[in-house]
Amino acid sequence: MHAVDNISLHVERGETLCIVGESGCGKSLTSLAIMDLLPKKAIRTVDKMSLCDVNILNFSEKQMSNVRGNKMGMIFQEPMSSLNPSFTVENQMLETLSRHRNIVGSEAKALVVQMLEKVGIIPAEKRLRQYPHQLSGGLRQRVMIAMTLLCEPELIIADEPTTALDVTIQAQILKLMKDLQNDFNVGLIFITHDLGVVANIADRVAVMYAGQIVEEGSVYDIFDNPSHPYTRGLLSCIPVPGKIKRGEPLGSIPGMVPSLVGNFSGCRFSGRWSDADEKLERADTRLVAVLGEPNTFTVNGSETHRVRFCCQDCLEKSYKFDTRKGNS
Amino acid sequence: MTDLMVEASVVTKDYKISRGLFRGKEVLRAVDKVSLSVNRGETLAVVGESGCGKTTLAKIILGLLEPDSGTVKLCGIPINEISRTDLAKLVQPIFQDPYSSLNPRKTIGSIIQLPLIVQGDKNPENWRKRVLTTMDLVGLPSRMFDQFPNQLSGGQRQRVAIARALINRPKIVICDEPTSALDVSVQSQILNLLNELRRELDLTYVLISHNLAVVEHMATRVAVMYFGEKVEEAETDQLFKQPKHDYTKTLLEFYSHS
Repeated sequence: MHAVDNISLHVERGETLCIVGESGCGKSLTSLAIMDLLPKKAIRTVDKMSLCDVNILNFSEKQMSNVRGNKMGMIFQEPMSSLNPSFTVENQMLETLSRHRNIVGSEAKALVVQMLEKVGIIPAEKRLRQYPHQLSGGLRQRVMIAMTLLCEPELIIADEPTTALDVTIQAQILKLMKDLQNDFNVGLIFITHDLGVVANIADRVAVMYAGQIVEEGSVYDIFDNPSHPYTRGLLSCIPVPGKIKRGEPLGSIPGMVPSLVGNFSGCRFSGRWSDADEKLERADTRLVAVLGEPNTFTVNGSETHRVRFCCQDCLEKSYKFDTRKGNS
Repeated sequence: MTDLMVEASVVTKDYKISRGLFRGKEVLRAVDKVSLSVNRGETLAVVGESGCGKTTLAKIILGLLEPDSGTVKLCGIPINEISRTDLAKLVQPIFQDPYSSLNPRKTIGSIIQLPLIVQGDKNPENWRKRVLTTMDLVGLPSRMFDQFPNQLSGGQRQRVAIARALINRPKIVICDEPTSALDVSVQSQILNLLNELRRELDLTYVLISHNLAVVEHMATRVAVMYFGEKVEEAETDQLFKQPKHDYTKTLLEFYSHS
């Protein structure tokens, strides 16, 4: 089974890339593949992978574990299960410092306190002696963020970091992450299924569907000019604050995600067009094929806004045009 | 018949929490003097943070928990005077997680059929037909009758839960976070279905949710809960335009930003 199929990603320093998609589309596997944390059963094939222009593809397990948690940090969805319940906050944070940066003693402790204060845990002294179960969900996530930042990483991968939190806490954590990203100038890969969060935090967005990135572009490209039928469907499904018409049905994506088990071939989007989408006039969208990447196009001349169709059928049905002649 | 479907007045519920073997018990007030009323055909949304007592309140309206003080009336009748089977005919729940609310060892048909058996429906030969009609109503294909829950997707499972709740044609449905375990594209299908069913079957909903966009889309009226108390209640449009209570204001401040 190809859970993730031919994906290319890049994140710049200080930039937030949101990977958005529904459960089972391969978002989390993508992030695990980047960290080289895939389960043993999974086979990863990569052409190229580099962090700050250093090729990390052929790193040994030992080298990788020096990169992981150090140059690349990860924040998981459930902070309770990613913190060790039997050690205090101080203990766990000091361990990170001694493992990766060889800092111990009072210098380390000062750094830990300073970092906790940066993530808004004030006074930090009291929390240091506490165990994870004594903290609330929002505080735990703050501790996780502080821990990730201790090693001054180049890249942070956050996998649904706010999904388990209440709305008000979620907003605080998002704001905190945005501020800290500016302070530390790190690249952030933010994985989420919540389009509200995407609109809030993303610079660029990659939309995943059934193991592929179907559309990629700046947050404005994606929200203002969604060019893949799946992106359009997804955006029509959510009630948007300020544009809600009560009583009118929401848009929907008919059918179901195909099972990718076995050698899947055929159209991944077959049977999922909504009536409204099929009738849509698309005269103002100009697609230009990208060389060397089958069924991939740039939209309206923007190099960064790309759509990828799983097959010829899908493309022709989405845009009703003859690919040999180009888009009219 | 009265148009007031649910009437809860000054309902309070305490939980006793053990603080350890020798330390005695502490009291946690989960619901604190909450009064609510829902008219026929309305959708009342209850919003608030986790732990604010939304679900406890839902359980009280469902008759699963007895309030420590205050009364709940359904269709004008006090809830403790209604027998359990009659209560089940009147009010039904739809829960958050369709993965745990369906018995994995039973077929879809027998899950949806169970309420008919419980209610002692006189014509067993009609059961299959009634189940199939209800499955059709919620958009489940009839071939799923003999399938098991693990063969279904999350959205389909939630449809099964809805079918089971509706087969005896209740008047009130309590939806406790009905879509928060589902993907957005499935969420919109389920919300559309709930809206259609409300019109078709003349249902009254109490919708518990923390997703404000869903609330604004579905609800006619909103009650905001904070630490067990109802701090504000208003028509949806009014609440979203002019929130009065400070907590509601904070909630909405984050809402318009996202």
